[in-house]
Amino acid sequence: MNPVTLYNNDIFTNVPVEAPVERNFYPYADNGGTSLGIAGADFCLMASDTRKSSGYSIHSRYSPKAFKLTEKAVLATNGFAADGLALTKRLGQKLEWYKHAHDKEMSTPALAQMLANTLYYKRFFPYYTFNLLGGIDEQGRGVLYSFDPVGSMGTEVCRAGGSSAALIQPFLDNQVALKNQQGVQQTPLSLEAAIRITKDSFTSATERDIYTGDYLEIFIIRQEGTTIERIDLKKD
Amino acid sequence: MVTKLEQPKGGFNFDNYQRNVALEKKGITFPKMTKTGTTIVGLIYKDGICLGADTRATAGPIVADKNCEKIHYLAPNMYCCGAGTAADTEFTTALISSQLELHRLTTGREARVATALIMLKQMLFRYQGHIGAALVLGGYDVTGPNLYTIHPHGSTDKLPYVTMGSGSLAAMAVFESKWRKDLERQEAIDLVREAIESGIFNDLGSGSNVDVTVIEKGKIDVYRNYAKPNERGVKEQSYKFKRGTTAILKESIRDIVAITEGIEEMDIS
Amino acid sequence: MFLTRSEYDRGVNTFSPEGRLFQVEYAIEAIKLGSTAVGIQTSHGVVLAVEKRVTSPLLVSSSIEKIMEIDSHLGCAMSGLTADSRTMIDHARIEAQNHRFTYNEKIKVESVTQAVCDLALRFGESAHGEESIMSRPFGVALLIAGIDEKGPQLYHADPSGTFMQYDAKAIGSGSEGAQTELNEEYHKSLSLQEAETLSLKVLKQVMEEKLNNTNVQLAAVTEEHGFRIYSEEELQVVIDRL
Repeated sequence: MNPVTLYNNDIFTNVPVEAPVERNFYPYADNGGTSLGIAGADFCLMASDTRKSSGYSIHSRYSPKAFKLTEKAVLATNGFAADGLALTKRLGQKLEWYKHAHDKEMSTPALAQMLANTLYYKRFFPYYTFNLLGGIDEQGRGVLYSFDPVGSMGTEVCRAGGSSAALIQPFLDNQVALKNQQGVQQTPLSLEAAIRITKDSFTSATERDIYTGDYLEIFIIRQEGTTIERIDLKKD
Repeated sequence: MVTKLEQPKGGFNFDNYQRNVALEKKGITFPKMTKTGTTIVGLIYKDGICLGADTRATAGPIVADKNCEKIHYLAPNMYCCGAGTAADTEFTTALISSQLELHRLTTGREARVATALIMLKQMLFRYQGHIGAALVLGGYDVTGPNLYTIHPHGSTDKLPYVTMGSGSLAAMAVFESKWRKDLERQEAIDLVREAIESGIFNDLGSGSNVDVTVIEKGKIDVYRNYAKPNERGVKEQSYKFKRGTTAILKESIRDIVAITEGIEEMDIS
Repeated sequence: MFLTRSEYDRGVNTFSPEGRLFQVEYAIEAIKLGSTAVGIQTSHGVVLAVEKRVTSPLLVSSSIEKIMEIDSHLGCAMSGLTADSRTMIDHARIEAQNHRFTYNEKIKVESVTQAVCDLALRFGESAHGEESIMSRPFGVALLIAGIDEKGPQLYHADPSGTFMQYDAKAIGSGSEGAQTELNEEYHKSLSLQEAETLSLKVLKQVMEEKLNNTNVQLAAVTEEHGFRIYSEEELQVVIDRL
């Protein structure tokens, strides 16, 4: 686009004036998708759908956004997929460095603190990602952390993130944290129950959120190791 | 001589910010519209017209209705698919439908599709695009099968196969590769179904089921939910709460009927 | 001692034809002039003990600091040109705090030792031609004691940037005699209290002055209390056990 040349109307008719042209750069996109984490007594469950989209277009039906970072931690990223990928790559490098420098695998709480720092380091050009980090700590207990894009960290029992967060979180609060239920016995949540709640969360979110669907990946992190389960979701 | 300053594209515009804040303070809530990101199609085949639509209605990223109807009745020989602002498509078609009925009554003849077309486009043009209705109009009259598209600003097209809505590209891709002249009825239905399903699966604004309406000379078949390619699976568990789970914060029982002792004489004065 | 004196003992970046860096070797020699320091590792914790050379009756002995804290779980004893240790301990403290900030966990004893040793060879000209930080090697050796997930550990770091783990180690002027004594007396099942006594016993043997609660310093790193320097009263209790 060429700058528009203006001419003053009356006296100085042949003096050209340059009008300013505004240009904009948008470095971020929202690629949709949903993630969920549940911390149990001796396990942690992390789940994400695999749809990547923008606007009304599906870019990919299988583009995972939950990654196994260590044997005992899984990171689920939501928001801008490119930043999520860049962040994951950087964390991978940092984990490798840590292993070489200290001759041990980074613990999940240490990884959480490092992630918060990594995010805050980019305070004025943030990674546009909403992260959930789940795993087990050095005592084998399930732990779950949530982060905002600039590194504010919180410890959670159950958390939903991404485009369906507002749809799933109240359900999780009710079914996992047993909020607003009178006279219900507080038995520790079993892994089987957590998986059922996770599946129902995602099939229900798929019904009502256009950005959630295609496939569901469930990571189960335990002392013995991490397993992954892949499930079909609706594709419309 | 150039005197007009070009409007910058993109970025923020705060022109109406103060006004909107003032309005909101006065208690005005701004209206939310249900935009039906949609796939609607129509084609001409050997004996008539076949119309198709998906059934998803969205409000932003949320699915507002999983099984809505987007093929509207216009006249005994005409149907019209609507995409865009749900209210606009519903009211526009209903309004024109009434006028067409009156037209049929006064003329004593079956209305022509071209008549409906003119009425629709004139109405939409009058509103300068503010009525967000994008339509696929199909019908069979004395001139034979007729198929049109009407854009929100009032422009129209007359084509043998058409698509509209956010899923129009996905659907048109199917038509461009498979449509041919003089399709058989079932072939036409199958092609329309495939085009709508292409929209359902590849466009996030479209989803759920396929509605099909077939218009032939003196005969219309409405196939509501002709295909259901997206049935919800069974849930993993029941979420029925035990009685008493919801806390009772306050309880007060009152007599609604006033009970009075003794028998009162009826007032017959 | 170095009979083959040549131009090679001038530059800190130049190997001699025999493959030696004289300045580094001289730096290691400098430690042998320093006061004796002893470290003993037990299964309950690590003990550090140093001799303080009170050269004048007018000297305030408490102003001699030869054992310092790096972090709540890390301590350090030194011998040699103790002023140089300030740079190293500053670095160690920064590294320990950095680790806490980044990972919300305590740094390992080995990691902090490695970090200190990384500093040791940053003398002379650097590869890119810019001004280097130090003109000569450090003239100090450190005994770094601490506790981490691997239990109590003791490390020795010298001016060459080499570090090694020890069950018990002596450095400084009396190190030869002290090390011999440690080699004989040390055993795996040593208690912390026994280690306290042994460290002072060893120091006493190599010190010229008579050992008292002002001319030695004692510290320990334990699971319960972390790093702690003994007060004069606590020190006296140990001395009385000798």
